Amino acid sequence: MAFFWHIIIIGSITLLPVLGFNVVFGRGKILYFGQEVFSLAAAYAVWVLVARFEWPLLAAIAVAAALVIVLSLFFAELSLRLEPDGLGVLTIAMHLMALTIVLNWQSVTRGALGISKIPRLWFPASPAVFAAMAILIAVVWVFLLWRIDRGKVGRALAALAEHPWHASALGINRRTLHTFAFLLAAIGSLGSGILFPAYILFLTHVNYDFPVLIFFITCIVAGGPGRIFGVTAATLALVFLREGLRFFALPYDLIGPVRLILFGLILFIAVWYRRDNLFPTRREI
Amino acid sequence: MQLLLNGLIAGSLAALVAGGLALVYGVLGVFNLALGQIVLVGGYVTWWLYGVMGLPFVASIAGGIIAGGLVTWITFRLFVEPFYKRHRFLPIVTTIALSMILDGLILILFGESPKSIRLGGGIWHIAGARISVAQLGLILITILLLSVLAYTLHSTAIGRRIRAVVQHPHAVESFGVPAQRLHQLLFIMSGILASCGGIFLAIDQNLTPVLAFSITIKAYAAIIAGGKGNVWGAIVCAYAIALLEQAIVGIHWFNTFYVPAGFQGTVALAVIIIFLIIRPQGLFGSVARSA
Repeated sequence: MAFFWHIIIIGSITLLPVLGFNVVFGRGKILYFGQEVFSLAAAYAVWVLVARFEWPLLAAIAVAAALVIVLSLFFAELSLRLEPDGLGVLTIAMHLMALTIVLNWQSVTRGALGISKIPRLWFPASPAVFAAMAILIAVVWVFLLWRIDRGKVGRALAALAEHPWHASALGINRRTLHTFAFLLAAIGSLGSGILFPAYILFLTHVNYDFPVLIFFITCIVAGGPGRIFGVTAATLALVFLREGLRFFALPYDLIGPVRLILFGLILFIAVWYRRDNLFPTRREI
Repeated sequence: MQLLLNGLIAGSLAALVAGGLALVYGVLGVFNLALGQIVLVGGYVTWWLYGVMGLPFVASIAGGIIAGGLVTWITFRLFVEPFYKRHRFLPIVTTIALSMILDGLILILFGESPKSIRLGGGIWHIAGARISVAQLGLILITILLLSVLAYTLHSTAIGRRIRAVVQHPHAVESFGVPAQRLHQLLFIMSGILASCGGIFLAIDQNLTPVLAFSITIKAYAAIIAGGKGNVWGAIVCAYAIALLEQAIVGIHWFNTFYVPAGFQGTVALAVIIIFLIIRPQGLFGSVARSA
């Protein structure tokens, strides 16, 4: 039963940044890989302030929200100025920079040791209640993004991805849409940055490293880029697979590498399967 | 002087990797994000052949280069060739998948602990700065390899074909030049240069599996900062980034503080990002119109 609640909680929390990332990378087809910069910034801002400087949780969340909003505006500006592949590489560079800062600013973040004194949230006292709360947040998030995706904004993002010149001629404002998409991505990561350390009561950079970003990409590619329910289903299935791997009789030091190889293969197969619609192709009449 | 020499040493590794990649980007327009892992394959195989199997050093280097070339060929045939003509961004995602697979294999085969090749030889003093014989040799070999690349590109028949493929691949094919085979050749050449960089890394520093992504990102940062596809721009920027990294941690700023060594790469990447916000086309690139 404990594993069941664990899967539910991890799956629901993972959905928040993955679906946010899906708006930018999946629907907007913006080649950006900086999603974990938002998660790192949010998680460390909230829990460093709460656990190390004893700030009230709500004040810490407000600071983290301000930080991810500034970051999302910066990413949106970068996406407007740089060519797509340049943006992809430089957002990975920003992820690398964020990880380096977390690892080396030891007086604040405790570096590789992580922050262990994460206070327990006051209301979800048991795993079942925490799971119920996580499910509720995830369902609201899925519904909200589904409405946005089906509405004017979703159509405008798809049009911009398929043909920027035509979309621009139709009056679609690239700056506004990119900013909105990056803000949604940031909100998703803010949610997971608050909830995930509160669930495991520990904050470490390992949970925001490159394999996690690649896991997010795998969820989106496997579920169908831009598709809200497809990506939701793929995320839940892949979380189950990732967490379930620990029950296989593998030596402890092999679990990590085997997980890397397995998810690398899944991503490759998913890209092969979706190679014709992963990136924008012009529609023919 | 010591900072300059350190920059030259670090820049030589980066230039080897970035030079080959810029050539590939110029021709195919694709990014290979498993490049850092190919660097590590070259270094680890050389270390294994020399340090574990006890082969002569030159044979070990040859083995490392062959292994790197082989992995690059497999990368091209399986992870790039079936995708890049459908959309040039697809190989970015497929090579991310490959980077995960190679990371896992490297961890299983070589473990997490640092590995290095220690060569004998003394220390030379040049204008008050210290440099080992191995490091001097590595700088000279890099200059030699990049000179061979320059000569091949600009003064040989195959170089002319490569430049023609860069300018207009379809027109070149109509003249009977096998553009597809040249694409493969260039890709493998970039992998061989990257493997040389890995051997360089094993001799000068330590090999660890976590290095791969930062090597890849620094090489691509050099390519973007140099103006994408511009080989010489990438090489100049690779040296400039390395010098910048050394200067950041080596200079006593305002006579009050030193930047901690851990932030070396971060500050350099931040400078590049700021530079690209001001000049998105890079140092030697031209502006592209967008909607």
